[in-house]
Amino acid sequence: MSDLDAQLLAAHEAQDVPALVALYQEAAATADNDDARGFYLTHAHVFALEINHPDATRLRKALIGMGRESPA
Amino acid sequence: MHPTDLSTVRQPIHSAHGLPNAHYVDLDVFDEERSALLMSGWSGLAVAADVPEPGDAVPLTFLDIPLLLVRDRDGDVRVFHNICRHRGMILVDAPRKIEGAIRCPYHSWCYSTKGSLVSTPHVGGPGQNTADGSNRDLLGLVPVRSHIWLGVVWINLSGSAPAFEDANADLLARWAEFDKPLYHGGSDSAFQLEVNCNWKLAVENYCESYHLPWVHPGLNSYSRLEDHYHIEASGRFSGQGTLVYRQLTGDDGQTFPDFEGLSDKWDTASEYITAYPNVLLGVHRDHAFAIILVPQGPGRTVEHVHLFYAQPDTDPALRAKNAEQWKTVFEEDIYVVEGMQRGRHSPGFDGGRFSPAMDGPTHMFHAWVAEHMAAHRAQDKAAE
Repeated sequence: MSDLDAQLLAAHEAQDVPALVALYQEAAATADNDDARGFYLTHAHVFALEINHPDATRLRKALIGMGRESPA
Repeated sequence: MHPTDLSTVRQPIHSAHGLPNAHYVDLDVFDEERSALLMSGWSGLAVAADVPEPGDAVPLTFLDIPLLLVRDRDGDVRVFHNICRHRGMILVDAPRKIEGAIRCPYHSWCYSTKGSLVSTPHVGGPGQNTADGSNRDLLGLVPVRSHIWLGVVWINLSGSAPAFEDANADLLARWAEFDKPLYHGGSDSAFQLEVNCNWKLAVENYCESYHLPWVHPGLNSYSRLEDHYHIEASGRFSGQGTLVYRQLTGDDGQTFPDFEGLSDKWDTASEYITAYPNVLLGVHRDHAFAIILVPQGPGRTVEHVHLFYAQPDTDPALRAKNAEQWKTVFEEDIYVVEGMQRGRHSPGFDGGRFSPAMDGPTHMFHAWVAEHMAAHRAQDKAAE
C-alpha cells in the first residue's frame, strides 16, 4: 500500500473531510490517466461540497472541463 | 376493518357520546386517524428554535415518517423527507451542522440545504458525474409544506390543506397581538414528557377547565373554576381561558417583560387553546408556550414542551422557575390521561357522556375528529 493510500484510509477512518479533499486532489495530480484523475477529482469535489471547502468551485470547474460534471 | 360508529359523537353535546374506545387503543383506527387527522391538515412538528443557525439540521420521526428539519443558508426553515432520491437512504441520522452540502452516506449524492441535488458522483460511470436520463432538477429533496407561527414549525404532510393562514385564520386573528417575535428560552425552557396515553387524551384534557380544581388544586388559591371561560371555534380549535392570570415573580420581585402592544385584556387574562390536531398553545402577557404532541402509537405520546418570551435575554433563574412551575402542572395531568387510557380498554365504556356546561371544548374536539374521519372514509369509498 502506498503512503497516499494509507493516508486516505486513515482520513476516511477519522472522517477527516478537509484531509480527504486534499488527499484526493493529490491522488488526482499523480494519476496516470484521465479516468483515474476524474475519479479522484470527483471524490475531492464531493468532500469539498460537504464542508463548503474553498476548493469546491475550482474542482467543479475542473470536472466540467473534463466533461465529467455539469455547472449546476 | 369495520369502521367505528361515530354517529353518537356528532350529536349535540347533551346527547353525544365521546369517541369509542377503538380510537384510543386500536392500531387500525390509529392508522386511519394518522391520515385523516394528522397528515391532512397542519400539524405541529417542532419549533424553529430547534435549528437556530443556518446549516443546523435535525432529523425527526413523525408518524413513523423520517423527516429533516433544516435552516438553510439564507436562514429559512425547511422540512424535507429525510431520504436520498437515489436509494431511499436516510440522509441525516443525528442533529448536526451542515457546513456545505448534505451528503448521502451511501453513494454520496449531495443536496444543498435548500434541497437542490448538486452532485451525483459516478452516476454515469466511474468519474462521470452526469448521465442521460438523470435530471438533477427533478431529483431534489422531497419538500414538506411548512409554516412557522408562534415559534412552532407546522407541516402539512398531505400537501393538500389550505394555506396555513387560511386554515387557521380565526386563531391567527384571535391572537394577532402575539404575532410578533417570540424568543425561545433555550435549553432550560424545553422539556419532554413521555406519556402512556393516546395523543387525543392530552388534547381533551388540555381543552377544558373542568378538571383544574381537582387535578391542579394549587390553582384554587387564585384561579378559581369560575374565573375560566370556554374558547370554542367549531371545526377549528377549542380551549379555555382565565381572567385572573398572575405573573410569576422572582425572589427579588422581578417579572418577565411583557410582549409589546398588548391590549388591557391581557393584563390579567391568559388563554390555552388546542390548534387541532396536535399543538397545545398557551399565551400570557409575558410568555407563551407550545406543547407539540408526537403520537408514538395508539397508547403512547411524547409531549414536547417549549416556553417563549418577549425578549431574548430574560432572567435565567426566573425562566427556570417558570419551566419548573409548568412542568409540575403538566406532570399533574399525566395521572389522569394515563388513567383514561387504561379506562379505554374497558368494554363497559361507551365513549362517556359530557357535561353540557363544562365539556364544550372537549366535545368540540370529538366532533372535529368525527367530522374528519367521516370525510376521510367518504374519500376512501369514492376512490374504491
